[in-house]
Amino acid sequence: MTAETTHNATPARGTQRERTRAQGIRRFKWAVLTPFLALMLFILMPAFLLQGYFSFFAFSIFDAGDNLGFSSYFQASEWVGLDLWANALSDAKFGFAIIRSLLFATGVTVGCFIIGFALALLMYRPFRGQGVYYIFFILPMLTVPIVIAYTGEMILYQNGPLNDILSILTQTRVEAQFLYKQEVALTTIAFLEIWNWTPFSFIIMMAGLASLPKEPQEAAQILGANKWRIFWEVQVPLLRPVILLALILRFLESMAEFPKTWGLLQGGPGSATETVPVYIFINAWQFFDISYGAVLSYLILFMMAAIVMSAIWLLRREKKSLDAMYDSKPQEG
Amino acid sequence: MSMTKSQRRHAFSAFRYLVLTVWLAIVAFPIFWMVSTSFKPDREWFAWPPVYISENATLQNYLVVWADVSEYAVDETGNLETVAQSLQRPWVALRNSALISVISTTLTVLFGAVLAYGVSRYGILSEGRMFQLLMLRMVPPIVLIAPISIWYSALGLLDTITGLVMLYFLTTLPYAVWMAKSFIDEVPREMEQAAEILGASRMRTIWEVVLPLVRSGLVATFLFILILTWSEYLLALLLSKTAVVTLPVELSKYQGSTEGRVYGRQAALSVGITLPLIVVGLIIRKHLARGFSFGMVRR
Repeated sequence: MTAETTHNATPARGTQRERTRAQGIRRFKWAVLTPFLALMLFILMPAFLLQGYFSFFAFSIFDAGDNLGFSSYFQASEWVGLDLWANALSDAKFGFAIIRSLLFATGVTVGCFIIGFALALLMYRPFRGQGVYYIFFILPMLTVPIVIAYTGEMILYQNGPLNDILSILTQTRVEAQFLYKQEVALTTIAFLEIWNWTPFSFIIMMAGLASLPKEPQEAAQILGANKWRIFWEVQVPLLRPVILLALILRFLESMAEFPKTWGLLQGGPGSATETVPVYIFINAWQFFDISYGAVLSYLILFMMAAIVMSAIWLLRREKKSLDAMYDSKPQEG
Repeated sequence: MSMTKSQRRHAFSAFRYLVLTVWLAIVAFPIFWMVSTSFKPDREWFAWPPVYISENATLQNYLVVWADVSEYAVDETGNLETVAQSLQRPWVALRNSALISVISTTLTVLFGAVLAYGVSRYGILSEGRMFQLLMLRMVPPIVLIAPISIWYSALGLLDTITGLVMLYFLTTLPYAVWMAKSFIDEVPREMEQAAEILGASRMRTIWEVVLPLVRSGLVATFLFILILTWSEYLLALLLSKTAVVTLPVELSKYQGSTEGRVYGRQAALSVGITLPLIVVGLIIRKHLARGFSFGMVRR
């Protein structure tokens, strides 16, 4: 079913009936969009502007003293121009936080994807027990992140079960510090995040594999291609949109990861787990430096907006080529 | 190379069960540990070697956390009790969580479904706009949360259910619209045209033809959004103080207390937080992929 045929409601040169129809659609459109736009206008817009204001006028909660009314925020703030922006751009800790977040997100994305895709490849054809495995494999996604953080701590605790299992396997007493050592803390959080979100990649890849058309694979088989070549030269290219989707969404979500990092380690030990969200949080909520937090937020907002827009551009391109492919196929019953 | 075809198939099958079972163990262990810890008496929380399944299993943790049975706990645990007690308001948190997630999810799905219908049938949003909508979800909320909390304090929305509901509405709307649209797109347009030719009004067509066909899809959308809202932590933490504490924030308070960890209590609370989500997730397990496939997966 092509979407385009009924979509174009604009050419109103036709009959009276068509014109009232176009009018009705326009009225419907604005009736639906108004509450949404109102929320954007009254909640997000002012916040965005306030953020801009405080990035040029230095203000921290302490400046307001006892009088914490909204107007006092403005009285207590003072014009500093671009000073804070300059500070932020030369802030080494901020730079490290960005690098840390990018590394964390990349590692998590790749980890989730490889495990999720491998499981999906093993599972997408029916076999005995498929349903049971599927149910278990989606469970981590349904476990609240903050719950995973604290349950993770119970398991990773020095006298906890993980060290016990490792001790039994290696026949020596293992007393690994998974959380409170600078070198490994972020990696540990990454593993928790991978555990949490592999189901996401798994589900998407399962759906993708199940939806692949059979004909190209059969054709390749008849032509004598082995499984390996069919995988790389037929399945993977057909799966490209789904793969991109799994990678992009996972990357963006792990850039924003907060509950586990904060809930377990609050940026520590040292600053080993100070990712971008944690660093912004520390500045705005622990040092109460609203203005510096605002500048950091703006910089991250621009960075993320650029990343998100290229991601969206990529996704749209894939969707278009997919639409083109499916629309060109003759429709059967 | 000398294996026959059926031998190879058997080998693959064995390999598959091996790998899947290893991953099953990795997936199941933390959940098992959480449940098992929730039944342990306090002296087993930190025991070495760790206790996997307690022989002295007790409901004490549940009673202390959820039922406020304090005398019973005091004989057993001594001073730990004061910590657990001063913090425990899980039923209030449960009520808040339930109210907030049900209200915001209902609004999001109602609104999202109507919008999705408009997009699917009348193209009221172009595909470009639909993708722009995703930005609401993809930009990390931390970048706007500080000014939002200032703005909320000016509006008196800080620490209110309304305040959180409005933000959850905005941040979950993109998924709701995309997911609902994927279900509505599947309803053949011919059915609506037929109803129209038979003289049914627009509203009646939607109500009696389209809605019954997408009902299960909308339920799936509802539950999917419910999962996202129920487990949200950052916004709930920063926009609430004392009045509107949700379950994830309530749980994190146990960790914040410095007087030692109370693993059993945390586990008992965690089980309560997780159980509804697992039930909900298993109900909609077949539809989960739609929540985030944005039309990329065809069936």
